[in-house]
Amino acid sequence: MNKVNVSISEDQRDCYQEIANIAMGQAAALLAKLLDVKVILPIPVVNLIEVNELRMALSGIEASDKVSGVCQGFIGNRISGEALLIFNDASLGDISQLLKYPDELDTSVELELLMDVANILIGACLRGIGSQLDVTFSQGHPVVLGQHVNLPELISTNHYRWSKTLAIEINYKIEGYNINCDLLLLFAEDAINVLNNKVNYLLED
Amino acid sequence: MAISVLICDDSGFARKQMARALPDNWDVEISFACNGEEALQAIAEGKGEVVFLDLTMPVMDGIQTLTHIKENDLNAMVIVVSGDIQPEAQAQVTQLGALDFIQKPVSKAKSTEVLKRFGLL
Repeated sequence: MNKVNVSISEDQRDCYQEIANIAMGQAAALLAKLLDVKVILPIPVVNLIEVNELRMALSGIEASDKVSGVCQGFIGNRISGEALLIFNDASLGDISQLLKYPDELDTSVELELLMDVANILIGACLRGIGSQLDVTFSQGHPVVLGQHVNLPELISTNHYRWSKTLAIEINYKIEGYNINCDLLLLFAEDAINVLNNKVNYLLED
Repeated sequence: MAISVLICDDSGFARKQMARALPDNWDVEISFACNGEEALQAIAEGKGEVVFLDLTMPVMDGIQTLTHIKENDLNAMVIVVSGDIQPEAQAQVTQLGALDFIQKPVSKAKSTEVLKRFGLL
């Protein structure tokens, strides 16, 4: 694979952050309606990072926490990447309550729950970003990264072909509940220049 | 006389986008603020007769800013511009005295419609 030098300027980073802000708001509104709750919105964190620094990008979740997570690939107009949704295990009970799942949570029910929330949040976020950048993303099948594991285990099971990634981290919390989940959108290294061009167009006067 | 308009958002891109979405030929004097604190300062200086206010901001967020404006009965007509489109957020800002709530990204058509509705255009 040809290596291209990629970087993002401060203006571009700000623009990605604002695009993510709008998209996560749309996703949160959908989740709020579905669960009848108020979603607390953070300021999204945008960084161009080395893939091996990925764990550090997950600032919303402690490394010592037990977590469960799914990932889902996406692609559209030469822009590919992967979305990761990671739940603090402590959240699962409250989420199942909100989604009105049966009382007993076994591994397979939890899995279903993870997939449900992942589909909603990842789909809505990608649509939100896509509509601003004029890209239509298709999503692959969600894949389980791990259940009840430490964060490092969850991340290390994943192998990327890229050395750098444009990472957008959104930490969702739900008011009045012990729910903490991290949505991480990772754009492939070779997608960054395509994205930068699109963002430059928005930044023009 | 030109109306003083203040655009308050932590994102430079969002401030620019908002400024571009203002109606053409509207006689205004535009100022910018990066957070609620700066916005209150600008309002005190008479630079914010009309304020376009974001909600999610560091230092002082939109809700805190609105609360301060309401409690101190400041001379500022606030239109909230936000990506947080949950019904609860809209209800809260209206209760805090905001004229209206515009969903991001803002379009020229939407800002024109809102300003016309409140007789500002």
